Amino acid sequence: MPKALVYRANSVIYFQGDAADKVYVMQSGRICLTSIDIETGKEIREIIGMGEFFGVKSALGHYPREENAAVLQDSNVLMFTVPEFEAFASKNTRIIIKMLKVFSNQLRRVHKQVENLMEKPIAGGAENGLFRTGEYYLRNRMYSQARYVFSRYLVYYPTGKLADQATKYLELAEASLARHGDGKGPSPLGGPAIAEENSLAPDLGMRKKEPSALSDVAKEYYNAVSLFSQEKYTDALNVFKNVITQGDDPEYTNKALYDAGRCLFALGQWDAAIKHLTGIVQSAPKHPDMSDILFMMGQSWEKKGDTQRAKGFYSKVLSMSSDDDSSARIKSKKALNALGGA
Amino acid sequence: MSDLSAFMRFAKSYQSGEMIFSEYEPGDSFYLIQSGRVKITKIVGAIEKNIDILQPPEIFGEMAILEGAPRSATAIAMDPVKVLEFNRANFEILMMGNPQIALRLLKLFTKRIYDQKRRFMILKLEDPQAKVADVFLMLDETQGDPGAGQSVGDTRDFKVTVEDVAHWAGISIQDAQTVLGHFSNQRRVEMYQDRIVVKNIMDFQRFVNSRRKKT
Repeated sequence: MPKALVYRANSVIYFQGDAADKVYVMQSGRICLTSIDIETGKEIREIIGMGEFFGVKSALGHYPREENAAVLQDSNVLMFTVPEFEAFASKNTRIIIKMLKVFSNQLRRVHKQVENLMEKPIAGGAENGLFRTGEYYLRNRMYSQARYVFSRYLVYYPTGKLADQATKYLELAEASLARHGDGKGPSPLGGPAIAEENSLAPDLGMRKKEPSALSDVAKEYYNAVSLFSQEKYTDALNVFKNVITQGDDPEYTNKALYDAGRCLFALGQWDAAIKHLTGIVQSAPKHPDMSDILFMMGQSWEKKGDTQRAKGFYSKVLSMSSDDDSSARIKSKKALNALGGA
Repeated sequence: MSDLSAFMRFAKSYQSGEMIFSEYEPGDSFYLIQSGRVKITKIVGAIEKNIDILQPPEIFGEMAILEGAPRSATAIAMDPVKVLEFNRANFEILMMGNPQIALRLLKLFTKRIYDQKRRFMILKLEDPQAKVADVFLMLDETQGDPGAGQSVGDTRDFKVTVEDVAHWAGISIQDAQTVLGHFSNQRRVEMYQDRIVVKNIMDFQRFVNSRRKKT
């Protein structure tokens, strides 16, 4: 049974840092919660309304109180143990639903705050991550997992910069699964198995005969992609530049041109990024990543504070892209709205 | 568990070994296990780590409540698995008639909010050494969880790698290596292949407190 308690003015129900195992309902009086905002360090004060619960999160989550609960005027409260609260809430699902909404909003807000501190570049984090996850499974002969991941990659990023490679890897995963079965056969992506087989012909610069083996320029390109994903943008930029200078394979030259732009952008070199990307627009107007390139140019101008030019580029993306839900298109739409429309 | 037959339109099944979702995949649905076990894994460096094994009636994928956030881990069916799949738009319907499930989700949210806030506190520290020390304090606070590690006096044994620490501290693996190497030279930590031992957790607590007050 929940207990009815009376608190006098100027008393404290609990302090920040106290162990939490009770949930309270405000019945009458005036109670104030004070806490410190994790972002600004400022004090936040919140007056509890009549009939409102407080102390729920820390009690249910088994962590210390995050706020002080101070009594401003003589107050009556109901105190529940956690099992009592659970029994009560189970009969009043609406209360839980209401709390779920409050908590999910709080979760969104704090998640956003964490993300802002992470300062991850906008470009391709999850896309790259998904591709690399597939690569991991393929290398470790977990073909059905690899097949799943690459097929999802192609669903989400049909025109993504790794889409061609994902298609190849998807076929490779299917072929390996059919031929060897999960966990069997040689690893399609090098790794120990292939390294041993090829140990007779090392360091001679010989092209491997494996159908799946990547060309040297491709390897160099993917090394750079991997550096990029590790946020080593300067190193990645140098390798992308190498790939561009060699110019062996137009496919990888194009990819590297685009990715070099992403590096400059991630490094915050807006002027250099704009100059580089303008170069691509002029020399390769049919570049497969054109909408992403234009979006990045818009972003660079926006970072420089020139919203007029930024808007121009976002509008350009929207006007040219036939692919309705390409990420550049969605992002441009958002960016344009954020700047108050075209 | 309450009768969920009214929710069959949300039901999905997976074969043993089948992936439910992959790390980094955009996701907008979360799942309630009805039968079978689900393995949660994450690729860290060059190895796939098992994070958890979940059973009925547990919930997973609940971070889908955050719009557009990619999955932070992979979910794979270990047995033939039956789940109810729901999302931001329809979870209220399911919760309404199932207070036990709603309560479970509520508890998950309280835990996630705390995790994220704690993460924020770590990231907010400016000194990489303090960040790394605070990661261990955070892990110590959740020692109650199974598999979190062992404690003897003020010594704590954490089953974590340098990559894990780097991930939580929001710094590069190289920087985490440098900081941990430094702590190791000072004999404040011992490094092993699959675990890190903190010799005196109270010492880290004082260190982090002193750095936090300055800001």
